Amino acid sequence: MIDIYTQKKKSKDWILQNDLYFNLNTSNEQMSQKEINLIQRIDEAKLTPDKHIETKYGLGTIRNLSSGCKTLLNIVKHPDKVVCVEECGPNVLKIIFTMDNIKIYMSRPTLVDIPDEAQIRFNNSDIVIGSRGYNAWWSREYERREEDDL
Amino acid sequence: MPGGVESMKGEKRMIYSKISFEAAPFSYELEFEDRITLVGGDSGTGKTVLYEILEDIRLTEEYSSIKLFNYKTDNFLEAIKKCRDNFIVIDNADILIDDDVRRFINFEFSNQYMLFLRNCDGLNVSDRSFKVLKFDNNRITLEEEV
Repeated sequence: MIDIYTQKKKSKDWILQNDLYFNLNTSNEQMSQKEINLIQRIDEAKLTPDKHIETKYGLGTIRNLSSGCKTLLNIVKHPDKVVCVEECGPNVLKIIFTMDNIKIYMSRPTLVDIPDEAQIRFNNSDIVIGSRGYNAWWSREYERREEDDL
Repeated sequence: MPGGVESMKGEKRMIYSKISFEAAPFSYELEFEDRITLVGGDSGTGKTVLYEILEDIRLTEEYSSIKLFNYKTDNFLEAIKKCRDNFIVIDNADILIDDDVRRFINFEFSNQYMLFLRNCDGLNVSDRSFKVLKFDNNRITLEEEV
């Protein structure tokens, strides 16, 4: 199940500033081979054991990863947190929607491929399946926002 | 090319219609077609790398109108509202800008804006506003987002 929250909340259980959270926390954790592969896939970056990276832009450290890549790693490493995905590009969102047991915050729909079998729960309430359910939920949400003049 | 392009009403609309520079081994040629440019596309395409290079470029006389903002900026709202006749670049814009800033961007015509932003709600953008960074043989350009 992917939990999506659509109202922003300030809480210690939420990660709204992904770069900052990653730089101060996630970057200091051990990266598994699966996570190293994600870094390669998103940023085309090679991560060394001492947390340096090599990309087409040159050499750097793990803190030089893209915001989207940092967001993805925040989700993978901290599945208990609600993570803001508003800075993620389509390449990251596509991966996020193949994951399970994660919690994300997005305030608007995004054009992204969602697997037909993906189970999505909005705001701890409505459960929908796949991209059809996702798009239908957002249509209703926008009608609601229009009625409420939001 | 500072100064430059003006609208029919005589409002100064574009600070730079093109920003080009060498940042070895890369060559940047960024052309702008609207006073608001949103740079989107996939993650990992070099937006923050560009932002960091602009931190040096803005110290040159030619590009001294560039003002940079990201999640590390102190008093972001206060600072951006003081900008006039600037080329404003905002990284992490999806988490930084609220309705107030969107209004400022829409109505402060003396500035030009390049926003690393995906959510264009509430911004007066045109179909020429949406761009992605294209990397080709160490030459980096802004191309229309498909």
